[in-house]
Amino acid sequence: MLARRLRSKFPALSRRWQTTASTTAIEPPPAGGHSSSVASSQLFRITRESALRTPGISWQDEESDRNIIGGRETRKMNLYQAVRDALSIALSKDDTAVIFGEDIAFGGVFRCTMGLAEEFGRERVFNTPLTEQGIAGFGIGLASMGHTAIAEIQFADYIFPAFDQLVNEAAKFRYRSGGHFSIGGLTVRTPTMAVGHGGLYHSQSPEGFFMGASGLKVVIPRSPIQCKGLLLSAIRDPNPVIFMEPKILYRSAVEQVPIDDFSLPLSRAEILIPGSDLTLLTWGTPVYHCESALRLLNSPPPSLAPLIPPSLRNAKVELIDLRTILPWDVETVVESVRRTKRLVIVHEAGMTGGVGGEIAAEVGKRAFLRLEAPVRRITGWDVPAGLQFEKFNMPDAVRILDGIMETLSY
Amino acid sequence: MHPLSFRHSSLLTRACSNGRTLSTLAASTSLGCLPPAHSPAVSKLAFFNSVTGDSSKIPSYRVLDVFGVPIEGAKVPEVSIAPFASPKKYEHMQLLPTLDDILCSGQRQGRIPFYSLTSYLKYGEEATVIGTAAALADDDEVLSQYRETGVLLWRGFTLDGIMAQVFGNHEDSGKGRQIAVHYGSKQHHFHTISSPLATQISQAAGVGFALKRDPARRSKNVACAFFGEGAASEGDFHAGMLLAATLPSPTLFLARNNGFAISTPNSQQFYGDGISARGPGYGVDTVRVDGNDVLAVMNAVKEARRRCLEGGRAVLVEMMTYRIGHHSTSDDSYVYRERQEVEDRTKNDNPITRFRLFMESRGWWNETDEDELAFRLRRDVIKAFKRAETVKKPDLKDMFTDVYAEEPWNIKEQREELIALLKKYGQVWEPWQNELRTLKNGGKPVD
Repeated sequence: MLARRLRSKFPALSRRWQTTASTTAIEPPPAGGHSSSVASSQLFRITRESALRTPGISWQDEESDRNIIGGRETRKMNLYQAVRDALSIALSKDDTAVIFGEDIAFGGVFRCTMGLAEEFGRERVFNTPLTEQGIAGFGIGLASMGHTAIAEIQFADYIFPAFDQLVNEAAKFRYRSGGHFSIGGLTVRTPTMAVGHGGLYHSQSPEGFFMGASGLKVVIPRSPIQCKGLLLSAIRDPNPVIFMEPKILYRSAVEQVPIDDFSLPLSRAEILIPGSDLTLLTWGTPVYHCESALRLLNSPPPSLAPLIPPSLRNAKVELIDLRTILPWDVETVVESVRRTKRLVIVHEAGMTGGVGGEIAAEVGKRAFLRLEAPVRRITGWDVPAGLQFEKFNMPDAVRILDGIMETLSY
Repeated sequence: MHPLSFRHSSLLTRACSNGRTLSTLAASTSLGCLPPAHSPAVSKLAFFNSVTGDSSKIPSYRVLDVFGVPIEGAKVPEVSIAPFASPKKYEHMQLLPTLDDILCSGQRQGRIPFYSLTSYLKYGEEATVIGTAAALADDDEVLSQYRETGVLLWRGFTLDGIMAQVFGNHEDSGKGRQIAVHYGSKQHHFHTISSPLATQISQAAGVGFALKRDPARRSKNVACAFFGEGAASEGDFHAGMLLAATLPSPTLFLARNNGFAISTPNSQQFYGDGISARGPGYGVDTVRVDGNDVLAVMNAVKEARRRCLEGGRAVLVEMMTYRIGHHSTSDDSYVYRERQEVEDRTKNDNPITRFRLFMESRGWWNETDEDELAFRLRRDVIKAFKRAETVKKPDLKDMFTDVYAEEPWNIKEQREELIALLKKYGQVWEPWQNELRTLKNGGKPVD
């Protein structure tokens, strides 16, 4: 192939352009949704310079002491292209790595594995029969032999048949064997969260269910750069990781993404917007609704201005993306709350049993005397995600704004 | 009691020399029997891997060939396909693609709930669904996957009901909570569909058990689980078959083998001979049928149902067909299969064409009837579609109802929280105003 010849002559040339460039195949109608908060976000790194300066990037070059930025390339990618890019790097560098799941081979229902079967072969990128419990069990077995098993569960709503394997087996694998057996090579990727038209079974955020499964890690990226770096970290982490990708962001989140191999740290939250008056903590899609809420607070449109006291409009809210849900970065969150004295947590999953409760309890314990308001959780209601009601179920910018104002004026 | 004696039968010889198949052996040999399975002891080590006993594929029962002509030896059931009964079947078969056609365009035009993912296309599988519907009793309990709307329509569910669910408007008995094609109707004994695959299979075993326990329905009704060959890979398939076979419960397992699970062809879904090969593994009476032959499906399911009622135990029917359409409106199947293959199947093995040719050969149908039907169906579907477009979405309070039978404190408080928010912002915040306007009692705070 021309590309291979080019590669051997010019090793510096990008090796993956033919798999991430758009193909001539007919585009299926977009399954990914649309969010105005995402469309208007300023949080994406859309220039090469800002992308290369993403905080926390750790370059994983083959020559170990290349810490320089100069000369590195970026390419415009959306979230599913960033996933694909990370998977491609993982398979290139690790001969034991394989990717499997339902409908993976033709590219996946969200195109995350486009071209990978062609590039790495059907023995390394392959379809499994339709069985989530099988996929999880198979992945655990593969990883127990030291291989890198990258499994996909087609929708997070369908992870429950795999729950037994993940909670009873994967989470306890190292512990129960006295440390002799482990399955660090297992990564389970799955599309998560609401998409606008998913209804009960294509919208769920099940991260809360896994909080009790010590031994597992849970990671949720908010953008293409974050996705690539966190996914590569997850794949290489010596623990089994569940990597939940907000599906509404697959097409709508676009950044300049460094094409080199890089990782971003797990269990480290990121402060996106520094502040001093209130800590706003979230992950995944709601990051952008939070951003919109802050914009509404600081410069309200005429329609809302009467409802937003001028005294609150100058509030400096600190926006934090948790990124790793389990184990979560208690230090960054508590340090922030000690400064701001107020905490609002936002997540799509329902209130009861959601991750917010766990965080609120821990922050309450560590910052009790500093807090000037109760920890506020703005979440989906305790109801299944009914299709026609989604707009009033998942927290949006106005609901978040209201919660912030209530907490500021407590 | 027959004295144990060694019989050097030709069956045994075949088993020994072949090494791959075990035909039915004499029940007793001089080597004895192994309890508790009463498995005869043999001295030859022989592996087996065939349900048919000679490594051939499980055959498919058929009545009509692809041209609608009864095949040799076929039993054409005269009474149930009488001139008046056949058109009903044919009409329903034609209704399915008409419905799909219009809903599909509707979705692409954005007229069905914005970006609604699924208008599951039934192209090619009309005979499996209508043939089965015609063979069941109208009050047999049906647990469907999502490609069996034809059963619901056969039982009298209206086009208005279909549209209400697809549009998710306030006339939907499901209260707009689910995405399209997730129908349910207690009146029609059609259990509400859910997206997770195969969950209905193990549930069906329980439904069957309830029927058996109910003196009013015992020996009168069966539970029916529909599923695709892909869903049959889930653990719930194993559980459902096992329970209905073992407990037992009168449950019909109806597998639509249409060649694909989204992009995954049969060759990547299983290695054995389809789904039928699994039936005997559970001790279950099994039949494979040409799913594109509506008369064959009807005959087979009728007999399966009879056995199910008589034995009170699982029966498995595998209907072989082909998914002509894409998986859903979010799928473009030409990415993973040849267009030519689809066109060939459409032309050469079309369930609707086969049956029409048969009816025409009997003088029960002609071109005028065909034109009139096509016109009428399209008109009726479009009428229902247009009407449903004008109907408002459900009342917002239905977001909070039916979670439990009663309302616990957290749901009550959350409902009140939303009411307060709507009161505060619902009059001034345009995105909320727009959304509220589409809802029944819209604009007014939920109470």
